[in-house]
Amino acid sequence: MAAAWRHKRVAASQPGFLPLKSNLGGDSSNVKRRKRVNKNKKKSWNKFSDIQDVEEFLEDVRLQERTTGGLIAEKTDDSLFFVDTGDKDEKDKDAQPETTVKKGKHSKPLRIDLILQPDSHIPAPKNVLAFQQPNAKKQRRTSDRAAKLASMGILPRREKLLQLRRAAAASGVSAKKRAVANNNPDRTFYDLWTAETAPETADPYYLEQTKKKLVKRPDRLNEKPSVLPAIEVIAPGGSYNPDFFSHQDLLRKAHEVEVKKIKAEEKLARQLAVNEDVATEETTFKEQVEGLIEEEEIEPEEPEGDTEGTVTGPTATQEKKTEKQRKKEKAKRIKELQRKAERQVIDKRQQLFQLRSISADLKKQEQRTKMRQAQRKAQQEAQKSMPRRLGKLKFQDPDLDVQLSNELAGSLRSLKPEGSILKDRFLSLQKRNIIEPRDRAKFKRKYKLKFSEKRAFREIQ
Amino acid sequence: MGGLQKKKYESGSATNYISRNKARKKLSLSLADFRRLCILKGIYPHEPKHKKKVNKGSTAPRTFYLLKDIRFLLHEPIVGKFREYKIFVRKLRTAYGKAEWGAVGRLKREQAFVQIGPHHQGEFTCFESSGFSSRSFILWGCHVMNERLKPENLSDKRYPTFIDALRDVDDALSMCFLFSTFARTGKCHVQTIQLCRRLSVEWMNYIIASRSLRKVFLSIKGMYYQAEVLGQTVTWIVPYQFAHDHPTDVDYRVMATFTELYTTLLGFVNFRLYQTLNLVYPPKLDGQGELSLKSECEEDYALESESYSEKLSALSASLARTVPSVEEEEAELDHFPAEGEDLEKMEAREKIELEQNKQKKLFEGLKFFLNREVPRESLAFVIRCLGGQVSWDKSLCIGSTYDETDETITHHIVDRPSIEKQYINRYYIQPQWVYDCVNAKMLLPVEEYFLGVTLPPHLSPFVEESEGDYVPPEKLKLMALQRGEKPLFTEAAAEEEEEEEEGDEDEEEEEDEDDEDEDDQSEEEDEAEDEENLAEMEAKRAQGKRLPVKVTPGKVKPENRMRTEQEEKAEEKRLAIMMMKKREKYLYDKIMFGKKRNVREANKLAAKRKAHDDASKADKKKKKKKC
Repeated sequence: MAAAWRHKRVAASQPGFLPLKSNLGGDSSNVKRRKRVNKNKKKSWNKFSDIQDVEEFLEDVRLQERTTGGLIAEKTDDSLFFVDTGDKDEKDKDAQPETTVKKGKHSKPLRIDLILQPDSHIPAPKNVLAFQQPNAKKQRRTSDRAAKLASMGILPRREKLLQLRRAAAASGVSAKKRAVANNNPDRTFYDLWTAETAPETADPYYLEQTKKKLVKRPDRLNEKPSVLPAIEVIAPGGSYNPDFFSHQDLLRKAHEVEVKKIKAEEKLARQLAVNEDVATEETTFKEQVEGLIEEEEIEPEEPEGDTEGTVTGPTATQEKKTEKQRKKEKAKRIKELQRKAERQVIDKRQQLFQLRSISADLKKQEQRTKMRQAQRKAQQEAQKSMPRRLGKLKFQDPDLDVQLSNELAGSLRSLKPEGSILKDRFLSLQKRNIIEPRDRAKFKRKYKLKFSEKRAFREIQ
Repeated sequence: MGGLQKKKYESGSATNYISRNKARKKLSLSLADFRRLCILKGIYPHEPKHKKKVNKGSTAPRTFYLLKDIRFLLHEPIVGKFREYKIFVRKLRTAYGKAEWGAVGRLKREQAFVQIGPHHQGEFTCFESSGFSSRSFILWGCHVMNERLKPENLSDKRYPTFIDALRDVDDALSMCFLFSTFARTGKCHVQTIQLCRRLSVEWMNYIIASRSLRKVFLSIKGMYYQAEVLGQTVTWIVPYQFAHDHPTDVDYRVMATFTELYTTLLGFVNFRLYQTLNLVYPPKLDGQGELSLKSECEEDYALESESYSEKLSALSASLARTVPSVEEEEAELDHFPAEGEDLEKMEAREKIELEQNKQKKLFEGLKFFLNREVPRESLAFVIRCLGGQVSWDKSLCIGSTYDETDETITHHIVDRPSIEKQYINRYYIQPQWVYDCVNAKMLLPVEEYFLGVTLPPHLSPFVEESEGDYVPPEKLKLMALQRGEKPLFTEAAAEEEEEEEEGDEDEEEEEDEDDEDEDDQSEEEDEAEDEENLAEMEAKRAQGKRLPVKVTPGKVKPENRMRTEQEEKAEEKRLAIMMMKKREKYLYDKIMFGKKRNVREANKLAAKRKAHDDASKADKKKKKKKC
């Protein structure tokens, strides 16, 4: 304990130190017996050295700091003592009414707040992190650079755009004109056909090379793909209050279309029908006695004999021609050729007298070609109004819209419109070869459906 | 044999065409985009002459395009925009999927402000996605694309001149009128419907202002209108109100694309048309004072923002003009000395002009009142087109100009069997009268269209009968009326006897006409006439042989010039026929036979009709007797 004792002595011997608690010095009386320990190890130093007095001293220092805001020993006398002159009450009286008037009942703090008030005279330490700026260095650097640029007269992009916008607004032209949607009901139009397009200022070569020049639309594209009119007016029988005969006429047409369809369907059905023989009495009987009755055998040789009779191939063995025969044949051939040549000459001479008939023939031929040309032209004209085959599907004329006699409305009020104009328009586009005829895409399942019985269901069964 | 052997399918038609899929790949577009592009640019598929050659030996049906067309498309900057938009949608979808809302917002903003660089201004079409909400994104996927048709493209490329555009406006009108009647459901964008409505109203207002309506036909499908605009006949069809079922086998996407194109076209056409009449565009109503008077009931009818367009669509007020309207001078046709055919043509033209002028002013001075059950818009449009005044009940629609109690109303249009309170100084007629008047180009007698009377058939004005065709008796009657003959029906509730008489007269008329026709055409009768003449001459000769010869003072036979002229003509014709070559004669006979057959068939139909009428009359009689 010699160390502790020595320490205490040291603390107490501090010049002008005033302990707050009086018992600091008094403790030194109960000194324990010194214990002998080896001190060659650090561990035992810590363990067996008595630092209580130092602790107490430091505690006292902290207490002094907390309660009085500093060491009492270092305080001036003025701050510790005052001269009691006895007029304290008067002062209080003067001060009190003012405060009571000002502060109402509410101004009195709650007791809990008072308890929670820090009573230490030492200010709490600052949270350093709270005052630290992230990226401070970087920001400082950027701001420095901006300042430097600004001093040189270069503004950042945002600033520049803002200034531009301001300038534009001041001059009355908005810099950014937002494009209006195509289907905006309030969109504006202008005279398209006399609007002067700004003359191309750029070098045409430049535009061409940079692919900024628009290609001229070929005139071919402005031709309509069909000669049919855009709106095909319904036949007079389609009036809401039709003339009797025109109505009948329309009905007949619709009927004919329907009949044709039914016929085609029937034909298809007939062609597709499986030719199965229905069992009649005869056939059942035959089946029952199959193999019981001996039938006459069909002679298989008969057709063979037929074929033999009909075969007329060259006989395989032809005798060799003799020299004489050959010569004879050759002479015959030559004679024939001569005869033909002569005939030709005569014919040619004869043609002189046939001039009229020949010219008539020629005329006839020409006429025929002309007629055919006209026919072909007419056919081509007719083809122009026909819907083309533009895809997988063929255009099929839609059903005629008709109302039967009993469906006809007597008045406009009770009229029930027939058909759909939207569909009509769509089909008209197809008919005029503007779009290819298409079917609605069918729903296709990617994976097969899997069926499973639920357990509960199985149990019931 | 020198030269390389030619390979198959390396030249000729095989290289002139390209299949749709290949074209699509060449442009690197999706099929939907490719379709849109083709519609907007007016590129149509083409059927090759030799399909097998084009299809490299296969006969499978395929859609082909001309390679040149696709090459042209390849140069279109709009293709690039399609691709950009595709990328944008992909990015947006990814951002949505990852729930990166900041990225979504940024993408949308960027896309909305896609700015055209200063050197591209006006050169590129611009896409933008205003109104591209998350909902619509989900609804439409990547198909929503508000692509902006570059108007200049429309002008120099698709429609080089205004008249070209006007020729194609039939389709545009029908589509706009159709789309404007759609319900505002998810079938197409509400904005599109509104735009279509606006454009169709503008068009109707123009037709009213220019008084160019010519024909109307109420069919079971819809209402057909025909107008003559700047010398072009424009036909369009308008659906009846509330007549919609949405068919499932129509590709709405394709139709929407067409509508996009056509709304743009119609807008520019409207602008130009308004300019030609010195009308303000967008249309403004004339006479603001009148409107302010009527503002009480309007508040209930429409929102502040919509009421003006609703007033426009009411079609009851005229439009404001940029130049105060001066009394229109009657522009008279210039007269040039002309001869022969030209003269005839000119006369015909003058006659048509006169007729049209008459038609334009048909309803001038008449005041109509529409009952609530009649199709208001259509009737108001037609009546105003012919210069009439029209109004309706205040509670029916905005823009009514006078009440039912107005004493000056001349015609009250009703479509119900009877009406309780009737004013004495006006006609109560059915709506068909108005339409029939337009088609007849004259004011028809109102008797046949009175309340509760069975209407005469509504004939199609789009049919033009050629010679010898069957013409329904109603039309004959109408034609007679047009010629200025006395109307046969003077009283609506005619007695049966009268009816019968009239029927007879009708028949006579028909017969007369038939006779005329036959006179003109058939030579048979000519021959018969000749024979008659011969017989007469012979008889005279026989008379001459009679012995007691007497000279009587000759009577001055009044020379029937017309008759002689006709005879001369007939004689000439006969001679011409005689002089014909065999082939020509054959052809002539054939033609004549065809004509006669037509006449015969028409007669047959007429007889049938008569029989039918008689039968129905008899029925009526029976019924009456029973009653």
